[in-house]
Order: sequence, then structure tokens, then C-alpha cells
Amino acid sequence: MTTTPAIDIVGTKKSGRPIGLLLVAAPVLLVCWMVIWPIISAIARTVWLPNEGSGRSFSLETYAFFFSDQYSINNLTVTLWTTGVTALLLLLICLPIALYLRFAKGRLAAYVQGLAIFPMFVPSIILSYAVIRVLGPNGTVDLLLNSVGLPHIRSPYLTPWGPVIGLVWDNIPLTVLILLSGLGNVSNQSIEAARDVGAGRFALLWHIILPRISNSILVAVSFTVLGIFSAFTLPYVLGPAAPEMMGPFMQRTFRDLNDPTNAITQAVIAFAFCIVFGLFYVRSVAKNRAP
Amino acid sequence: MKRRAFMLSVGGVAAGMVLLPRLALAEAGKIDWYTGSDQNILDFWTNIVKPKFEAANPGITLNLVDGGDNAGLQSIAERAVAAMQTKTDPQADYFETFDPRLPAGGIEAGLWVNMKEAGLSNYSKVNPLAFDGDYSLPYRGSQVLLAYDTTKLAPADAPKTFADLVAWIKANPGQFIYNRPDKGGSGGNFVRRAIYEANGRDVNVFKIDNYTQAFGDETLGKGWEVLKDLAGSLFDNGAYTSGNTQSIQLLSQGAVTMIPAWSDQAIQAINTGVLPETTGLVQLTDLGLPGGFSRSTLLSNGVNKDASLKLADFILTEEIQSAVLTELGGFPGVSWDYISADLREKFKDVIPTTIPVFPGGDWEKAINDGWYRNVAPNVDRNA
Repeated sequence: MTTTPAIDIVGTKKSGRPIGLLLVAAPVLLVCWMVIWPIISAIARTVWLPNEGSGRSFSLETYAFFFSDQYSINNLTVTLWTTGVTALLLLLICLPIALYLRFAKGRLAAYVQGLAIFPMFVPSIILSYAVIRVLGPNGTVDLLLNSVGLPHIRSPYLTPWGPVIGLVWDNIPLTVLILLSGLGNVSNQSIEAARDVGAGRFALLWHIILPRISNSILVAVSFTVLGIFSAFTLPYVLGPAAPEMMGPFMQRTFRDLNDPTNAITQAVIAFAFCIVFGLFYVRSVAKNRAP
Repeated sequence: MKRRAFMLSVGGVAAGMVLLPRLALAEAGKIDWYTGSDQNILDFWTNIVKPKFEAANPGITLNLVDGGDNAGLQSIAERAVAAMQTKTDPQADYFETFDPRLPAGGIEAGLWVNMKEAGLSNYSKVNPLAFDGDYSLPYRGSQVLLAYDTTKLAPADAPKTFADLVAWIKANPGQFIYNRPDKGGSGGNFVRRAIYEANGRDVNVFKIDNYTQAFGDETLGKGWEVLKDLAGSLFDNGAYTSGNTQSIQLLSQGAVTMIPAWSDQAIQAINTGVLPETTGLVQLTDLGLPGGFSRSTLLSNGVNKDASLKLADFILTEEIQSAVLTELGGFPGVSWDYISADLREKFKDVIPTTIPVFPGGDWEKAINDGWYRNVAPNVDRNA
């Protein structure tokens, strides 16, 4: 009796391999050309600076400047703060929505799903002006509060909370969709089985659901963190003048101050933070793919 | 199935033809016109200048192209330099607003038409304040002024000097906001006016070529003190909007009483109802808020140079210059004597006698960076 696997049936004949490699070659080359190469060139340009003579030499001057400059550090801090707060709020808001959509049936659930996906189709520049209209000074919320005799609230517009609110709203669809796809892995049988042995709602969530979707949560968080870290429009329009997030800061350094070297330095530093979350994502994908 | 395949292939070919790069050649009698300005300027040319000019000059048409921004126009100008060296067609004739000092060496190479010697019949009408060399033609201007809500501040009490303005801002905390100086000219020129104020209101202190680190730190430093002093009395304890439009939005929502605004944007906003009829406009009389003129340039190697000169002359006629005032909300490029008397009367409050123009170059960079480091962060927003 032989134990040779049925290669013919699953179709992993050797002759098929070059086609697979060719298919994957185009995206890999694109990534090398448009992502990997710019990274290498950016790092090289920030550490290989023109010296007093005519040539260039190795120097970490721009990085030393960034980390000794309180203004730059404040910008980095506010970026990290915004990213952290937004990611946390997103999870707190999106997990209940995703749980509801996974288990609810009927027309109402369809409407909720539509609402949750809606922000995906709203360009962020339009969102920014809408936030000013609604949450801005004398905006809709203010008018509604005033009409029932409640006092003015301090508007989040032009404070660090402005971009947080905008970014949370903007990122709800992606987070909900990722969490929802993760919840697809939770089978009805396992939940019913747990209920049968008397598990309460919280125990169900903690012991049955969360362990199954931890991977999706990780993916959702790393995706949103990458997006928020590099956000531009919302912090630009809704945020305070100072401290500013890295996106507007880089753009301003590059274009208004005409200082590409420092702008690239800021980009490399932002990239270094993002790569940590990128690695989380890659690790979780690799873990899923492993046989 | 056959029909479907046929439709697919026809559709594919049609799409391919649309996507094929078309061989572009400048046509005689079609002026290739480029702008890097905002949409309102392109609209003005599309709806007003183009039909009038084409009606007055049969056989000449205008091809209006949005070049995106100034950097976009610069790359077209660089292409024209290259075309000049190879004696080929630059496929461009007319730049709506451009600085002929760019690209470097362009003037020396004869890239731009010398407007002074071009023999334009209307050239003598141009406002002498507006010129910036012989290679560009001023045709519209704009200045920053103060826009305010007359229901909260009577026009008689509106500040007329910078000192009055400071006193008013401090007496009415939270009622004034200006935008970040690099994000729009209204806030940018307010900041520059404060810098003038701190340096004895002398516009001759700042020149395009006299920036040095030490001189900049000293003169701008005094300006930052004036602005830091104001910060706590601004909207929301020192907030700054991120653009001209956002300031106008706050004024229209009644969140603030006064903002600095571009004259053309404010007049247009009032005409379109974005700002209410009760919006007042006032210019400081001790020294106006800075502004500037937009100047057109013509390529000397353009295929339609003669037609472009006709266009340049045409935009200085009273018809178009009045439209600049009424339709665009800008200042005319010609002297006010060449504008009809009733328009002069209507806009007498915003007619500038002087328009201070702050130099760009290194000063601009120093102001943009200095403001962010010195003025924006040093205020306790929660106080």
C-alpha cells in the first residue's frame, strides 16, 4: 500500500509552478520598485549628507536634530497619542457593532450594516467640513443643545480631539468589516454548545468569541494604526496648529519650508513606528497561513 | 454570445482610442492658456473672458488649461525653455499668473515677452503700484482686509488702525481668528502686517534679498511677541484655522465676529450668500494689510504670440477690468481712473491707496517656520 499523496487531484504538478511565480512576480517587482527602493533611498539620503567639502559623508545630524527638537518631539507625541486613542475608541465602538451584525437578523441589521459601511464612501475632505458644521462652534450639536436649554460645549474643532473624532468615523467601515470576517470563524454550534452548559453572555464573549477573533482584532488594529499614523486631511483641517500630526508636519516641512532632508527624516521616523505594526500584521497573516 | 463578443471588442477599441495619447500640436489661432490659480479664476476666464474675447476676435479661440498649481506652470515653463533650445513648439502661449523670474535665466534667454515694449494700447492704464518688472502684465489684484459681522460690531466702531484692532481683540476675547500663515494668504498677510507693526510700520525694512538669520530673528522675533500677546484673546484661547475658507466658515456660522480675509474671496462670499449681507469690510488706514497683484506672462516662442498679445491687451479693457471687480471680486489691474464712476463709488471702502507687498523667498520660509515654533505652541489652550 502506497501513501503517495494524490498530486493529480490537488493539482500541484511541478509544471504549474513557473506560472505561479510569474503571476506573483509583477506585484513583487512593483513593491520593490515603488516601496522598497524609495525606503532605501530615503534612508540613504538622510544619513549620507553633503559635508562642508564637496562630497557627502555619513552623518546622523538630522535624526539628532529631530530628537533634540522639542517641537518635533511634541508632534511625534501627539501623533502617537492620536493613534492610540483612535485605535482604542475604534475597537470599543466597532466590536459591539460587529457582534450585533454577526448575530442579528432582519431588516434592522441590514440598515445598521449600511450605516456602518457608509463612511467608506465619504471623502475625508467632505467629512472634515461636515464635522466643522456639526461639531464646530455654533454647529448643529450646539444649536440642538441650546434649543433645549443646555449650555455650549467646547467644540473639538481645532483641538487634538477634532482629528480623533474624524478618524474614528472614517475608519469604522474597515474595522467593522475585518472584525465581521473574523466573527465568521465563530460557529453557531460552539456558541450553542457553550450556552447549553450555562455560559452567560460575558463568558461567551470572553471564552468563546474573543479567542477566535483575536487575530482579526490584531489585523484591524494594525490596519487602522497604519492609516491613522499617516493621516493627512483630517488632522490638517480639524487639528490644532501646534502640535501637529506627522502627516501635516512632513508636508509643511517639505513644501513650505522647502527642506526635503528633514521631511524625509520625519518620514523615516514615522516609517519606523509603522513597521512595528506592519510586522504584527505580517506575523498574524503568516501564522494563519502556516499548515 | 457572438453579439456579446462583438460589443466587448467594440467597447474595448473605443476605450483604447480614448486612452491613446493624442499627438498634441499647437494650432494656429488657438491660444494655449495655462493657469495655476484657484477654480474661481478659471471660472472667470471660462464664463466671461473667453466668450467676450472670441466674439471680439473671430478666428481666435482660447484653450483654457488648468495647470494645477504654480509648480505645474513651472514645469510647463521649463518645457518651453527646452523647446526654445531645440526650436520646437512649446505648445503654450499664455500664463495667467506667473513669475517671469522662473525658471532661472528665462528672461535672459528671451523666454518671456517684454510687455513694456510689446506695444499694448492699454499698457499705460496699468496701475503703477502693480508692476513687478517689464516681463509680466498685472491684470488683477487682491488684498487682505478685515471682514466682520455688522450685527455685532457697528461699522462706526470697526478698528481702523492696527493698535485699534489689538485693543478690540483684547476687549472681545474669542471673537477673532486668523489662519496659519502658510495655509492661506489671509492669515499669512495678517501675520505679516503684525510683523510690519512691530518694526515701525516701515515696508522698506524687508526686501527680497536682505534676509539673514540674525536680521530675521531680530525683526520677526518682535512680530512674534505681538502675535503671542494676542494668542490668548483669539477664538478658543488661541486656535488657528487651517485655511482662508475655514475662517470664512467660522465667520458665517457666527462663531467669531471678525477675520482677516482676501478681498476677492470675501466679496465673492457675500455675493454668493456664503457670508450674509450684513458682513462689513474694512481696511486699516495706518498701513493696509498686505496683498498682491497677479501678473500674466507670455511666451515669446509660442506659436500664437500675436494672438496672445491681443488677449493681453483685451484683459486691460474697461469691460474686463470692471468684471474683475464685479464678477471676481478682485481689484482691477488698471488704475481706478479707468473704472466707471459708479463702480468706484460702490467699492470705495476697499480701494487701496497702498498695497504693501511682503517679499517672499527666504522671508517666507522664515515666517512659516518661525510662526509654528514661536506663536502656535506657546499658549495655554485650556486657560
